[in-house]
Amino acid sequence: MTEQLSAALAAEEAAIYAYGMVGVQLTGEGDLAEARAAEAAHRARRDALISRMSALKASAAPAPAGYELPFEVTDRAAALKLAIQVEDGVAQAWRAVLPASEGADRAAALNALIDSAVRATRWRRLAEVTPATMAWPGKA
Amino acid sequence: MVLTYRVKRRQLIRLAAGTALSATTLTGCGLLGNDPEPVPPPDALQPVLDEALQLAAAYDRAVLAEPGLAKRLQPLAEDHRTHAAELARVIGVTLPSGAPASSAPAAGGDAADSVATLRKAELAALKTASTACRTAPADRAGLTGSIAAARATHAEALR
Repeated sequence: MTEQLSAALAAEEAAIYAYGMVGVQLTGEGDLAEARAAEAAHRARRDALISRMSALKASAAPAPAGYELPFEVTDRAAALKLAIQVEDGVAQAWRAVLPASEGADRAAALNALIDSAVRATRWRRLAEVTPATMAWPGKA
Repeated sequence: MVLTYRVKRRQLIRLAAGTALSATTLTGCGLLGNDPEPVPPPDALQPVLDEALQLAAAYDRAVLAEPGLAKRLQPLAEDHRTHAAELARVIGVTLPSGAPASSAPAAGGDAADSVATLRKAELAALKTASTACRTAPADRAGLTGSIAAARATHAEALR
């Protein structure tokens, strides 16, 4: 399970970084509130993961100082597109934890998967991307 | 010792069978009519499959009643049908063909009502899928987890 948890941790770290880039390009109150809430949620997940991994005596790779974004984020449209990609990626990382875990770990992974999928849907609605849902969230 | 145990066990089975038989006979006289042959317990995913089919049909009815909702609701119905097909494959059952999409007349009520009702149904179905995921064997955890997540996003899309 620790392998999947460390992939989830890497995804959460990347999400926190990406939301920094996303936030800069957003000005609307609704957009900003969503981005702030999302970033806070990813920070909380990261912290929970770090403490779980430390309890498991699993070592986590340090987060890189910077990331290469998949595309330039220079306006709202690109920011929303990145937010959608980030949430889809986090959902994939957490889905991979499900078969490798059980009990409280699986329940936590499921909650994280659901939260990311719901946020991805919210971003799709804000970006007016249709459909706003997919049949298999988290499935790569 | 072993022999004694076996005899006892056989007696117990016979006893249990007798009880089951009399229970069956009693039920047979009741309202339910003929009892079917004893069937294996349903698959743990069966309730998740049932809900997927019910939700797909509910969306179809809502669209029939209010065609303006088609663009919003049809993708959600499609997700449920995709889930149902995969669940049926995993469980090893055949889906009823030609789901009665058009047969049931739409119930009264305006569009807002039906969307709110659908959202409630999605949230209830989310609970079922989440429970299934938490208790599923590893090879079904991803399947049920994604279905739970999809249902949560449907509820979000209906807000």
